Formats: sequence, structure tokens, C-alpha cells
Amino acid sequence: MSPPAPDSASDTEARPILPVRVVEAAGRFVLGWVGGLRGAVEEVGRAGVVAFWGVANVFLPPLRVRLTIQQMEFIGVQSLPIILLTSAFTGAVFTLQSHRAFAMFGAQAMVGGTVGVALTRELGPTLTGLLVAGRAGSAIAAELGTMRVTEQIDALDAMAVDPLNYLVKPRVLAAVLVMPMLTAIFDFVGIVGSYVIGIYLMHLSRPEFLVRLGDWVDWDDIYSGLLKAVVFGFIVGVVSCYKGFYTTGGARGVGQATTSAVVVSSVAILVSNFFIAWAIP
Amino acid sequence: MSTGERPDVDPVTGHPAAIVYQDVWKAFGPHQILRGLDLVVPRGRVTVIIGRSGTGKSVTIKHVMGLLRPDKGRIWVGDDELTAMSDRELRRVRLRFGIVFQQAALFDSMDVFDNIAFPLREHERLKEAQVRERVMALIAQVGLRGSERKVPSELSGGMRKRAGLARALVRSPEFLLYDEPTTGLDPILTAAMDKLIADTDAAHPDLTSLVISHDMHAVLSIAHKIVMLNEGVVVHEGTPDYFTSSDDPLIRQFLAGSLDGPMKV
Ligand SMILES: Nc1ncnc2c1ncn2[C@@H]1O[C@H](COP(=O)(O)OP(=O)(O)O)[C@@H](O)[C@H]1O
Ligand SMILES: [Mg+2]
Repeated sequence: MSPPAPDSASDTEARPILPVRVVEAAGRFVLGWVGGLRGAVEEVGRAGVVAFWGVANVFLPPLRVRLTIQQMEFIGVQSLPIILLTSAFTGAVFTLQSHRAFAMFGAQAMVGGTVGVALTRELGPTLTGLLVAGRAGSAIAAELGTMRVTEQIDALDAMAVDPLNYLVKPRVLAAVLVMPMLTAIFDFVGIVGSYVIGIYLMHLSRPEFLVRLGDWVDWDDIYSGLLKAVVFGFIVGVVSCYKGFYTTGGARGVGQATTSAVVVSSVAILVSNFFIAWAIP
Repeated sequence: MSTGERPDVDPVTGHPAAIVYQDVWKAFGPHQILRGLDLVVPRGRVTVIIGRSGTGKSVTIKHVMGLLRPDKGRIWVGDDELTAMSDRELRRVRLRFGIVFQQAALFDSMDVFDNIAFPLREHERLKEAQVRERVMALIAQVGLRGSERKVPSELSGGMRKRAGLARALVRSPEFLLYDEPTTGLDPILTAAMDKLIADTDAAHPDLTSLVISHDMHAVLSIAHKIVMLNEGVVVHEGTPDYFTSSDDPLIRQFLAGSLDGPMKV
């Protein structure tokens, strides 16, 4: 037996019998869960408010066209280098690996089609979503979080400017608009990367590669990928704005908001990806 | 409108009442911050609310702009009672205020000029030339000429507060609120800020100013009326002379900045 901790020395004689302790522990466990659950429900509720107003505000004046374009520039154009790099290498490595696998069955001709479907349906939207969450989502949460802790959001309120309209709407809207564009670019560049590796490195037959690609990749694949991209853009926009908007606790709080924006959006992207794939066969 | 119980005149200065708090209570969760606050802010004068950090001074001014709602009690701005107002009506009340934040709260994505122009561009349909004229006049008035294209991170604390003051003044508000305008400034910048507040008051005779401070010395020269807040209620109010000549132990302790006295750390 381990020696009792110093502060528990006094309750050795008053220690309740085992069943009581088990019930107590179970009670604490349940209460902890209920508390955590209530916190989670509250959090989802507040995120829902941000999501709702982010959407409802789209049609409320002022429209914030200029700010939205600025945000599209930030979330979209500035994400291009990392999207180009990641997509080219993803297409390339996927081609390399699937070529090795298919070569065992002499089915090298299927590489183009396989890569095309995988990119447009899954890898394109998901990786683009994760990259945008990491790059733009973190920056949005950090910016809004800093604005919160330095009273800039209070200043907007005090100047009778709705911060949801001014800050959240342009960011959510920009993320939703930009994600499908980035995803389309990811798909295209990924396929180009695959083509380059497949044809010039693996010496696959060019017509076979292209024919399978054309046969296998339907417009449906592309559409479902782009639909996912819209959903992921909404997730990154709402989660990052929400985390930043409700930041408390100074510089440390801004750091936590930033981390948690990236973690929560990434998890939400991966989980919702499954359900979308399930719902749209 | 039921203004029956609302006092018309400020008893300290004899000026008409511009803002009235009547028995205002406010708690955040278990923390009771305001405990029946009664306060009259005279029109066209400088009123200072003084009290220790954390006594609820910022909470007090957030109520008057409708950023917080009281749990109990009534607040009038002019003849308008805020308690019964919708969010939309409160927003309209906010347009009558300018506020200088404790840390200036300038938008760090914009330069000084755009920060000061922001309320004009948001709320008034002016030509860019008119905006420019108004903003440049204010930049000159607060002594920031030549800094209009600097961003907040390039400004000193004193300059930021000046820019914040210019932004608060740009729409010619009826009421001007200062949240700790001299906190964090050195003694010389404190004197300069005090002079700026006094000059601003002199330049706008109809402007009603409400200053929050925990620094008694910094406000004696600018205040027409001083209100001392402690634990959520007004404990003393009067002219600066009343405070300097009082032998109340609480006031003496505050003026002396002493550890000995009725207020404990
Ligand atoms: N929105 C809020 N939610 C919870 N507590 C608050 C809020 N605003 C202020 N408080 C608390 O109210 C008290 C008074 O705050 P404040 O008015 O800012 O003090 P000060 O007199 O220094 O300006 C503090 O203890 C603060 O933590
Ligand atoms: Mg304060």
C-alpha cells in the first residue's frame, strides 16, 4: 500500500466504506460530464449565434463589399502559394504510391483515374480546408482575439457599429466564397502534379492516363468536392471568428483562442467530411 | 415620458442635469458591482468619477452608453430613459456619445487618419474632402499633425490617447466619456492630457464630459464636479474645493495615497 498523502491523514478514521466511495466517484464523474456537457452546449449555442448572425447579416446593410474583398484577398490569394505547393506534392506522392500498388496487378493504367477521383472528392476539399484553417483561421482568431482584449470590439459597439456586421460577416462570407476556388485550384494542380510524375517519371501511357481520368472523374465528384469546400469554408470562418470574438484573458487568451480555432475547425472539417460523404453517395 | 422623479438640476454645480443614474444596481454572477448608484452629471461641465481600481467605474460608464443594462434602477440621458429601450434605440443613444478608451482602442489595421475618420465614414454621408477637412482640423487640435499616416503601433501611449480623443470628438458628440485618460502616462504627459481635456471642454461649451480616474491629483484641475465611488455607491460628491478641504478620512487617504485609513488593500 502506498503511504497516505499528508493532507488525507486526518480522514483515515472517517473514510467511508468502499461502496459509498464508488457511488461518490461515479457521482463526481457524472457531474463532471454534465458540467462539461453544459459548457459544450453553451459554447455551441454562442457559436450558433455567431453563425446565425454571420449568415443573417449577409443581407443587412451595410454590405461590407470592400471588407469582404479584402478578406478574400487575405484568405484566398495569400493562401495560394501553400495550396499550390501542397497540391502538387500531394498529387505527386499519391501517384507514386498508387503506381507501386497497381503495378503489382499490372493495373498501372488506373493510376490517373484513381488519383483524379481521390483528389476531387476527398483530398482536394479536405486538405484545402485544413490548410486554410491552419493559415487563415488561426490569423482570424488571433486578430479578433487581440481586438477583443484591447477593447477594439467594445469601441465598435460604443461607436454604434455592429461588430458582427463589421468583423464577422466579411470573414465568414470570404471564407465561404474562397474555399471552393482554392479547392478547384488544388484539384487541378494536384492532377497536373500526378500527370507529371505519372508520365515523365513512371512512364505511364499518356492516353491511358488521360482516358481513365476522363472516364472516372464525373462532374458529380467535382461538385461534391466543391460543396464540401463551401461547408468547410463556413466551418473555418464561423469557428475562427467565434473563438476570436469571445476571447478573454489577455495575451494568453489570444494564444488559446488561436490554437483552439485551428483544432476545432480541423476536427469539425474531418468529422463533417465523413457525414457529407455518407449523405452524398 | 415619465420624467417625474428625475432631478432637473445638479445640486453641486447648479447646472441642468444631463445624465441621471437613479438607484442603479448591477451584478456579474455572484459579484455585486453597483449597489444603488445615484449620480447626476451636469450639462456642459466636466464631471470626474473617482474610485479605486475595480470599484465599477468602467461598468458605470458602460451603462450610460447602453453597453450594459442595469439589473435595477433607472438611467436618463437627456430626457430619454434607457431602461425601457430596445437595442436599436440604445444604438441611437450611443451615437450621441464619444468615448476615449483606457488603452485608446484604436483599430490597429488603420492609420491615425482612418481611425479618426472611421465614425464619420460609418455614420455620415460626407464627401471625402469634407471628411479630410474635419479629420485634419481635429488632428491639429489634439497636436498630432504629421502623424496622420502612422499606424497605432508606431505611436507612443500619449499620442494614441490623443488620436482616441480626436476619434471620439469627430462627430461632435453631446457627451464625451474618458476612461482613465491619464493612467499609464508619465507626470508630464498627464499634465498635457489634463490640459487637452480642459481645452476641449473650453472649445465646446455645450459638451458634457465625464471622466473616470483613480488619480485624484490628475483631476483636481479639470473637474467642475467630483464624485467618489466606493463599493458600488457614491460616498462623496462635491467641487474640487470640497475634496481638497475635506477632513473625511476616506478622502484624505485617497488624496494622500496612503495605506492607512478606512480603505484596505
Ligand atoms: N462584462 C463583465 N463581466 C463580468 N465581470 C465584469 C465585467 N465587467 C466588469 N466586471 C467586473 O466588475 C468589476 C468592476 O470593473 P470595472 O468597472 O472595470 O472597474 P474599474 O473601476 O477599475 O473601472 C471588476 O471586478 C470586473 O472584474
Ligand atoms: Mg476601468
